[in-house]
Amino acid sequence: MGMFESAEKFEEVLVGFFKLMGDTPKIADKLLASKLIIRFIYSDPDLVVVVDCSGDKIDVRPNDKDTKAIVEMSMSSDIAHRFWFGKVNLTSALTRKEMVAKGPIPKVLKLLPAVQPSYAMYPQYLDSHGYEKYNILKAYKPPTPPAAPSA
Amino acid sequence: MHGYAGQILYIDLSSGKIEKKALDADFARNYIGGLGFGTRIYLDLIKNNPNFDALSEANPFVLMTGPLTGLKMNGVARWTVGTKSPQTGFWGDANVGGFFGAYLKFAGYDGIVITGKAEKPSYIFIRDDVVEIRDSGKYWGKDIYETNDEMLEDLKRESKRPGQVVCIGPAGENLIKFASIINNKRHAAGRTGMGAVWGSKNLKAIYASGSGDVQIAHPDKLKELKEELKSVYEDSIYIAALKSSGTPAHIDVGMIAGDVPIKNWQMTEWDSINDIGPGAIEEKLFAGHKTCYGCGVACKKDAEVKEGPYKMNKGPSPEYETVATFGSMCLNTNIESIAKANEICNRYGMDTITCGSTIAFAIECFENGLISEKDTDGLKLTWGNSEAIVALTEKIGKKEGFGAVLADGSAKAAQKIGKNAADFLTTVKGLEAPMHDPRSAHGYGLAYGVSPRGACHEASLNFNVEGGAMFVPEIEDLSMELVEHSSDDRAKLNVACQDYGMFFTSCAIFCNLGANPLTATHTVSMVNHVTGFDYTLEEIIDIGRRVWYLKRGLTNLFGARAEDDRLPKRLMSAMEDGPTAGSVPDMDKMLAEFYELRGFDASGIPKSETLKKIGLDDLAQMLHA
Repeated sequence: MGMFESAEKFEEVLVGFFKLMGDTPKIADKLLASKLIIRFIYSDPDLVVVVDCSGDKIDVRPNDKDTKAIVEMSMSSDIAHRFWFGKVNLTSALTRKEMVAKGPIPKVLKLLPAVQPSYAMYPQYLDSHGYEKYNILKAYKPPTPPAAPSA
Repeated sequence: MHGYAGQILYIDLSSGKIEKKALDADFARNYIGGLGFGTRIYLDLIKNNPNFDALSEANPFVLMTGPLTGLKMNGVARWTVGTKSPQTGFWGDANVGGFFGAYLKFAGYDGIVITGKAEKPSYIFIRDDVVEIRDSGKYWGKDIYETNDEMLEDLKRESKRPGQVVCIGPAGENLIKFASIINNKRHAAGRTGMGAVWGSKNLKAIYASGSGDVQIAHPDKLKELKEELKSVYEDSIYIAALKSSGTPAHIDVGMIAGDVPIKNWQMTEWDSINDIGPGAIEEKLFAGHKTCYGCGVACKKDAEVKEGPYKMNKGPSPEYETVATFGSMCLNTNIESIAKANEICNRYGMDTITCGSTIAFAIECFENGLISEKDTDGLKLTWGNSEAIVALTEKIGKKEGFGAVLADGSAKAAQKIGKNAADFLTTVKGLEAPMHDPRSAHGYGLAYGVSPRGACHEASLNFNVEGGAMFVPEIEDLSMELVEHSSDDRAKLNVACQDYGMFFTSCAIFCNLGANPLTATHTVSMVNHVTGFDYTLEEIIDIGRRVWYLKRGLTNLFGARAEDDRLPKRLMSAMEDGPTAGSVPDMDKMLAEFYELRGFDASGIPKSETLKKIGLDDLAQMLHA
């Protein structure tokens, strides 16, 4: 069982966040410049979301299984959730196939700087929309630094 | 012998004596190649008198290929060099790509052992059976690009097949302590000052041209494996990123984790990072793809700056480490200036990690009033001053004015500058840390600490495995789940990364980049298909472990002790915010566990029984006499 109790709840949280990103110019402008159509395929719980950057504005379409996507990204909902906190070792997740990407990978990688501001936005979004229980940073405490080195 | 050329060249520059010794099959099986050969031969040469200066003629130099070098396959063009480092005073080595290793094998040699010192500037000419020490007077004083081009032009009529040149530039000639050796203008044995050792021997270059080939024991099996690997490479996003942007692709991913050092390791977040990221490089510098011998990954890139103060002709583009040291470390947002600094380092023959890090260190000294424009020949060493950064790089290359103060690296410069300059150092064993932050992945801290050559992310596979680019499911300790920002399990991880890593990057010799997608099943099979040996995974791990102790033992012989395994204060200071906020490696815990696992005594030396158990009785005798 993943962090989200149902596909409906995951869709509500994630699609809401994608739409928020689409309404945030510093992110949306760069996504639109890519002209990509990305299909996210999530598991546990299962959900499909298309983020269409090919038009004048970002179009987020849950359960769109028909549009021909340029890029497909598959992962568990928990990995996706942690990613938006900036808490996924992306290199490791891709190497270990916890995330699988199909399509023009260099174009996808170019989006990383564009979405970087979203890592700070996501926990704020969760808190301000009544989704506090999904905010993993609330339970997260940085480890106590060890004593100064002895030599 | 399958996989091997079958001979090692022994060249004594003092006497001019040149010997070709047959490669012993048992020796090849027990040490595989690369630094396996190099460390064993080096130890045998110095065992009667291990006390000498790195820049004296008593310091031998080893250059070795591996059984896969010269094959037309991804990620196996590598070769290695090793000697006592003039920068650290300990064992130094470097791993190089490019073409020279392949061409040396085609000429009939698995490696070269160089001893002594030539009376006058010289180079070594190799064309199959013809091996000569020749006068290099006409090349002495010329930079790497000039030497490479002129030597190839001068010698083209002497060889049926084109040759390859590996050479030093003015930095090596002037004994700059972090001088490098470079093949084909871009493939550098960069770290630990290998080029200064050549300079001290009056050795400018080696030219190699050969008409042979690498014999393969089981060509059908190798062909089958190559077919299987096609889809492995096609599916690898890591390889796709390397193909597209080269090593600077790491900037985007590294920034998420807080891995990219900024402002001499004082920041992990920087709004201007995209000015020097892969997007900026593609837009402002990119001028084509390049590769090493036989490798389809083609992670090398060309750069060109057509106009402006940093104009440069088409040539090697800066790698990730260079972009970070001359860019984020110095808060320098001008990517063209970084390309120019890279070109200067390549032409003079200097390690870009040490050079850029030393400049960042100097900027912090300037900011804190430890040095002023009076000391820096009028250069205003402020953060982000691209013009001053490029000018200082040139001064270091020329060993001129303030450049001479920095020409021995930051650790020695801190001693010269005095006051609290050492607070700004990022060195372990005198070697500046590479651009991967141990506060983002604690195992890097242990890897930097115990690396025989000083702070280094390539001395084992720790960076590849903990960083996530490599997954080796056959080895439990290389596939375990790790808790973020924790020091738990990192000692165990480091040991496994060293043992398998010595086989992988030092002996076989696989590329840390282009061979990342390979599992242990792939790598062991490849070596077996080529050599005809029947190594098991356990056997290659045992060999890797023995070679790791040889390297560590050499560093111990040259005086390294437990206190040299510590990280500098700067790397042990927690960030207040950003992706690594509050995270600092627990070096006490990791070192204690590591020493126990490795069978070290409290002074950081492998115990006698530890070494005897793995067949290194002679090293045990030397360290515990």
